[in-house]
Amino acid sequence: LKREIKKIISAVWVGIICLVFSSRLSTMKAASICPNDQTGCHLLPLANLFDRVIQHSARMHGISDDLHSEFELYFLPSKNQIGRVSRNCHTSTILTPNGKENAQRIAREELAEIILKLLVAWRDPLWHFHQSMSQHDEFTNFSSNKSLEMSDMVHELRKGVLKVVEKMQMLGIISNSVGDTGSPEALLTSDSAEWRFMKDYDLLYCFRRDSNKIQNYLKILKCRIVPKHGC
Amino acid sequence: MRGDLGLVMLWMLSAAKECDGTSPPGKPALVGCRSPEKETFTCWWKPGSDGGLPTTHRLYYEKEKEEGIHECPDYHSAGNNSCFFGKNYTSIWVEYSLRVVAFNALGNASSDTLDIDVMKVLKSDAPEAVTVLVDENLNTPCLNISWKRPSKVDVTKGWVSLTYELRVKVQTGLDWMMFTEVAQNSLRMYNIEPGVTYEVQVRCSLDHSSWSDWSKATFVEVPGYFRNQRLVWTLVFVFSLIPFLAAICILILKRKLVKQWILPPIPGPKIKGLDAQLFKSGRSEDVANALIANQNFPPTSVCMDQTEEYLLVSESNDWLLTDPYRSQRKKKSLLTPSDLNLDPEIQREVSTPGHSDREKSKSSEDEKDDFTPTSRCQSKENMSNTEPLLLPPPEKHQNSSVNVVNEDAALLQTTCENVVQAVAGYVDIQQGENTQEVGVEQWAYSQVKEVDETILLIKSHNLPVSSASQPREGSVAESVPTDYSRVKEVKGDNMVILHKDLHKSLCKKKEALDTEWTNQNTKMPHSSDCSKGMCLEMIGDGYVDSVPRFSTE
Repeated sequence: LKREIKKIISAVWVGIICLVFSSRLSTMKAASICPNDQTGCHLLPLANLFDRVIQHSARMHGISDDLHSEFELYFLPSKNQIGRVSRNCHTSTILTPNGKENAQRIAREELAEIILKLLVAWRDPLWHFHQSMSQHDEFTNFSSNKSLEMSDMVHELRKGVLKVVEKMQMLGIISNSVGDTGSPEALLTSDSAEWRFMKDYDLLYCFRRDSNKIQNYLKILKCRIVPKHGC
Repeated sequence: MRGDLGLVMLWMLSAAKECDGTSPPGKPALVGCRSPEKETFTCWWKPGSDGGLPTTHRLYYEKEKEEGIHECPDYHSAGNNSCFFGKNYTSIWVEYSLRVVAFNALGNASSDTLDIDVMKVLKSDAPEAVTVLVDENLNTPCLNISWKRPSKVDVTKGWVSLTYELRVKVQTGLDWMMFTEVAQNSLRMYNIEPGVTYEVQVRCSLDHSSWSDWSKATFVEVPGYFRNQRLVWTLVFVFSLIPFLAAICILILKRKLVKQWILPPIPGPKIKGLDAQLFKSGRSEDVANALIANQNFPPTSVCMDQTEEYLLVSESNDWLLTDPYRSQRKKKSLLTPSDLNLDPEIQREVSTPGHSDREKSKSSEDEKDDFTPTSRCQSKENMSNTEPLLLPPPEKHQNSSVNVVNEDAALLQTTCENVVQAVAGYVDIQQGENTQEVGVEQWAYSQVKEVDETILLIKSHNLPVSSASQPREGSVAESVPTDYSRVKEVKGDNMVILHKDLHKSLCKKKEALDTEWTNQNTKMPHSSDCSKGMCLEMIGDGYVDSVPRFSTE
């Protein structure tokens, strides 16, 4: 009789464990790694997403920085030309926060939108830049590859940021006002042709600055939304 | 003239002016700007000559895409000849165009413009509170280096990120050990040498821009030995010493046991079946028992029956017909060779049923059977009754005559002790010890030359009876028979049955045979013996004498 009781008990335990595991598995599919709803625990995947896009943007900025330094070796702009007149980036129409407090002050949705706008604005110019670079013989293959990489990264980063925005909207952190600014209509409204008149060097300079902005804005956004995960 | 005067006056004025030592200020130069935390920045300039007059400097700047020229908001916070731009005046990703103008009573001088972007001039302060400790708590000692971020930098908002770099060297050495891309505020360094002083420095960078200055050197001295190591080793030493000493004590105290165990004593020789203890008592019974008691003799009916059998050796048939042994029950005799074929004239009375088998078969067990236990020596008186050995006159005969040696008589005349001696397998015909009842002066080993049905002992002695028989080459007494045969049984008092297996072939002993035949007419040379198939093979244990083996037809 004792043996039977033990068997029954062990079978019951096994059944309980199986149930627990299956329930856990099912809950995990809903993208919450933590079983109990701690504050911020359910945001772990979002934090991971943020980390990935931030890393991506950091890499993009690094490449643009390298290219800009390389350009400075070839094309030393005279000091006289440096001035606010000559350097007029086509993205200057996009109002961007220029300080920490400003960036903290504006709404999350707005910040996300700014990031997306910037990314969209640089998609075409970078592509053309790469084309012109590959045509000129004085540029090494290394530079040409970098420009191509840069151009691709803008694409991917935009997709990544869109995913993050989606996730935030799903989690209810931001409102649904952040739309897809990559639509053709949006492109047309922006300064479409200004960048064509820019010199390559200026283009690089502008993009270097803008990629730095994107990186910083993403960091700020992450620390505002998921502050407990490495800020 | 008037013109000359005017020129002279002008010249004098200018000279007077120069004699004052005042002039408009020299051109200042902007040295540079720096932002320690990406929220404010400071610019410094270097003034030119002041021209001997009090000079003031003003900094003017223009921002990208902003109209208007602005003046420096704060000239004092950062010291002399500096301009501090506070948070409200700092814009990142915006180009500033700066210039400094020096003013004095006589004029002003403007420096060259300097275009900066705050992101380009990031340079943090050095890390603070660098502490180094020698950590001995773990199994491997290490240096535990920790520091704090520069106080001005705010890393909580994600606005700026700090990356650290360390360098460590032995104080007296030259090479630095670098640790780069350190994101945390602490570091553990292993592989430290005891008794050495280390020097540690840390620096950091904001957003991967230029590095800060190195922090002030922090020194740490690693103790010569590590505390816990020493403790461990002393404990190990002490604890290992105790069993070692104990083992030595035990070995010394029990050295005999140890010696016995290491070099075990070799056991003495032991004869199987022999109980050596019985010898020590010294009693004859014990001795006899020790020698005989454990022998596994197959049961012999002869032993049990106490019958005696004797071999009659006679030449004539008449003699043979007498049946002397029937009348007497004698002490059992000794060995009888079992496979001897005797002349059918010789009738051997087999009192026990098993004899015939044993006669014919040769087996070593039978030999053993016939060892008479010495305890049966009591029939001494019986022995005396035996007939004397009949020695038939030596005759030459081929097959029929049988020479019988009344070995039994010899035996019976011996004492029990002698019999005992003969138990070893020999029929020991004592020389000179026995009575000469039989009329035999000397008993010695004789060789049986010829056997018909039973093996006969031929006693070689200087009997007058036998004297005529054969020339002897030597005294029999002296000659030591070299061939032996085993006595299977003794029938009557003058008949001995010998075993078939004899330990030496007669064939080999040509000369021996020749010497020792007595009363033997037939003397068979070895070769002839062998050729006729009458060689005997003698086996080597416990024998009477060599007896030629016959093969009966």
